Formats: sequence, structure tokens, C-alpha cells
Amino acid sequence: MSTTSILRFENASLAAQPPYAQDLTAITLEVAAGEAQLVVTDMLPDGFPLADLAAGLVAPDEGRVYFAGTDWQARHPDEAAAARGRIGRVFEKRGWISNLDVDENITLAQRHHTTRPLAEIEAEALALAKQFGFEDLPRMRPALLRTGELRRAAWIRALLGAPTLLLLEHPLRELSNAAGAPLLAAVQAACAHGAAALWIAESFQGLENSRALFSKVWTLAGARLAAAKE
Amino acid sequence: MDGVGGPRYTPRAAEAAASMSVLGNIGAGWVEKGRMWRHFFALLWGVLRVTPWPRYWPRTTRNVLARQLLFTGVEASRFIALIAFFVGLSIVVQFQYWLTKFGQTQYLGPVLVMTVVRELGPLLVNFIIIGRSGTAMAIELGNMKLAGEVRALDAQGLDPFTYLILPRVVGAALSVFCLTIIFIVVAFCSGYISGTLFGANPGRPLLFVESIFGALQQADVLNLLIKTLLCGAMTGAICCAEGLSVGTASTEVPQAATRAVVRSTAALFIISALVSLATYL
Repeated sequence: MSTTSILRFENASLAAQPPYAQDLTAITLEVAAGEAQLVVTDMLPDGFPLADLAAGLVAPDEGRVYFAGTDWQARHPDEAAAARGRIGRVFEKRGWISNLDVDENITLAQRHHTTRPLAEIEAEALALAKQFGFEDLPRMRPALLRTGELRRAAWIRALLGAPTLLLLEHPLRELSNAAGAPLLAAVQAACAHGAAALWIAESFQGLENSRALFSKVWTLAGARLAAAKE
Repeated sequence: MDGVGGPRYTPRAAEAAASMSVLGNIGAGWVEKGRMWRHFFALLWGVLRVTPWPRYWPRTTRNVLARQLLFTGVEASRFIALIAFFVGLSIVVQFQYWLTKFGQTQYLGPVLVMTVVRELGPLLVNFIIIGRSGTAMAIELGNMKLAGEVRALDAQGLDPFTYLILPRVVGAALSVFCLTIIFIVVAFCSGYISGTLFGANPGRPLLFVESIFGALQQADVLNLLIKTLLCGAMTGAICCAEGLSVGTASTEVPQAATRAVVRSTAALFIISALVSLATYL
């Protein structure tokens, strides 16, 4: 397993301003290539800024956040946008462009950041879709898809294009415990290929049998993350 | 606080403070307006700066540009042609009629170029695009911002400037230019045909075309380019900026659309007037 640092929080603090509802204080964590870590929080959707900090969408008030060895704040905006193209993310809620079909949403980042042929991108997306229980890529507006299906479609989007970092915010919400097995397998496979994963969940529900996947488990204690398992 | 070093308030001082406060408020209003226009021009400058570089035009941005051209340009062309037809019917025929009546038909070309090409065409087309597409842009982007879609794009590395603003501004500019050409051609054609039908005696078709082309000068072409491309781009920039200024309440969306129309219209008239003055004086 490689030990290349993919995501590193260095004493990062953020005083919550809307839309965030949770302060974060002195967060220090490091996720290396091939590693998955779990953060358990019961914060309401949109209230927990950890994933946005990790993606460089919001700057910490204090401390630093590094992605692939470079501080987000030190990157040129164009470079930061390109770097975000290497992050696969399941959003807490929303995250879909309403005037694009779900399949267009799924392939959007790959079409934007790469010059791969569309057929190749769609073939990879279709393979992932089948892995997650779809017959075909959902070709309809996001508003017309059921919540659980939309959540599974978000998995396809997050894993498409072999991302360097996976930010998975409550990826099993609105799904049965058994439904998460293909995602856990896919995350494990992605990590085996060198990706890093930060999984944010509101509880251990659905993950009871998969704790071995996570090298570290963190819980939110006040505004700090406390290590629950080494 | 008297005698302790603090300010001593007398009626005269209070009056002075009140008038300063009024002046301050007026000044603050103008400063705010100045900031707003600086923001619009900065956005426009940003678009002009990145437009020539292919790296800012990935296929997703090109797709948005194509959709924008379809919506703002192609789908509006029939309506623009209809308006141009009636403009030709009412204005061009009148010019033909009166100039023929006074024996001044040699001025037909210059008068038509001055009225339709220089002023009416660009102004009307811009005006229609503001009402038809500008409001749609502001509302669409406002709703996207409200629904967290702009943030979702940003999180996937799609810079909202490149993906949302750039193709809309360029699409609006190109559409206004093309639609103005359509407007001018249809207005002249309908003017000539209706002039013939109503006995305004426009002369032979070739003579009519020659009189118009003969009256066209380089300054007219430059004027047309600036009034269509610059005003169209400005409309796009203002409408995008207003749409993306929406915060957290759905009531802000119609307010943003209203501001977009008012400010785009103001920009259109100011730029048109300044360009006319700069070109012809």
C-alpha cells in the first residue's frame, strides 16, 4: 500500500457561517492513498463543512488543508478546479443539475476535465451502473428519479474516472443496509487501486460488517474530531 | 459629556451632522452603484480575456454555448423577423414615400442606414433579447444558486465562470449580432415589397440595394459591431451577475430578474448613445 498523502488537515478550524451549522476546531487528519477513513456525525444535511473543506470549497479560518500535497489556498483557481475534477463526491443532498439528465450529470465532470471519448466514459459509467443495480444509465431528469435511485446514481458519479479522492457524504442514507454492499466493495476496489476515501456517516448503521475497510474512525465531539479506533 | 472632552452637540452641530449624514447617504449610494458597474465590467473583461483561449472551452462549455445560441439566437429569429417585417412596413415605406414626394430619393440609402442600421436595428434586437433571454438567464442562474447547483458544479471542478457565465455572455453577444443582421435584411425587404405594393415607388430592386450599400460607411459597420457584440455581451454579463447574486430566499429570484432587465436596459441605452457619439461626432 502506498503511503502518499492525498488529503491532509493540519490544525484546520472553521467558525460556522450559513449554510454551515457546525464549527470545526483544530482538525488534524491525514488520509493516504489506498486508505479509507470514517467520520461519524449526526449533523443535519448541509450543516457539516468537512467535505467542503476537504475539497477546498471553503478556506479554514486557521490551519491548512492539503490535497495531493498542495495547500488548497496556494493553488490558482484554475488549478484548484482541475484538482477538484480528481475528487469523486457523493453530496449530502442536492448535488444534481436539474436541467441535465441524470446520465449527463454523471458524466459531466469527466466530459469537462478530460478528453476521453464520450463512448468510453459512458461505457465505464454503464459498467458502474450495472454494478450498483441499474439496467441502464438513468436517462431522465433528477427530479423524476426516486431518492434511493438518485443516491445510487451518485455513487456512479463519484467513482467514475478513477478519482484520487472519494468524499462520500452519507452515501447510504435512504437505502437499506444490504444495499450498501456494492458501494463498499467498489470503495474497497478503488482504494486497492490507490484512491483515498473519506466516508461521512451519521451512524455505523450499514457499516457494522465493514469496519475493517476503515483504517481510522472518527467521531465528532463538540467541534473536534476524536479518534474512535486506530 | 460636556467638559470631559467629548463632542458638544448644539442645534447647529446637529443640523450639520444631519446634512452630512444626508450627503453621506447620497455618496454611499453612488459609491455602491460605482461598485456594481465595476463588477459588471470586470465580469465582461474576464469573459473577453478568456474567450480566445481553447482551454476555457471544454466540450461541456461548448455544449452550453450551443444551447444558448439555440435559445437566444435560433428560437428568437422568427419573432425578430416578425418585428422587422412590421418595422419595414411602417418606417421604410414612410421614408420612401416622403423622400419620393419631395424629390429627394437620393437620400433614401443614407436615411435608411442612419435609422435602421445604426440605431433602430441594434436597439430593438437588444431590447427583445433583454426581455426574452436576459430574464430567463437571471431566473435560471438564480434558481440554480438557490438549489445549491452552482456549489455542486464548483465541487466537481466546473468553475461557474467558465461553465455558466462564459458561454452565456458569448452566446448572447453572437445572437444579438446575427439577429440584428436578420432584422436589417428583413426590414429592408419588407419595406421594399410593401413600398411597391402601396405605391411608394421604391424604384428598381437593384437601385434600392445599391442606395443602401452606397450609403454604408466603415463607421456604420464598426458602430453595428460594437452595438451588437458589446451590448449583447453586457446584457449577458449583467443578467448572469444578477442571477448569481441570489442568496437564500426564493423571493430574491424575481427581484434579480427585475434588476437584470432594468440594468441591462440602462447599459444598452448608455452604450448605444456613447457609441453613436463616438462614431459620428
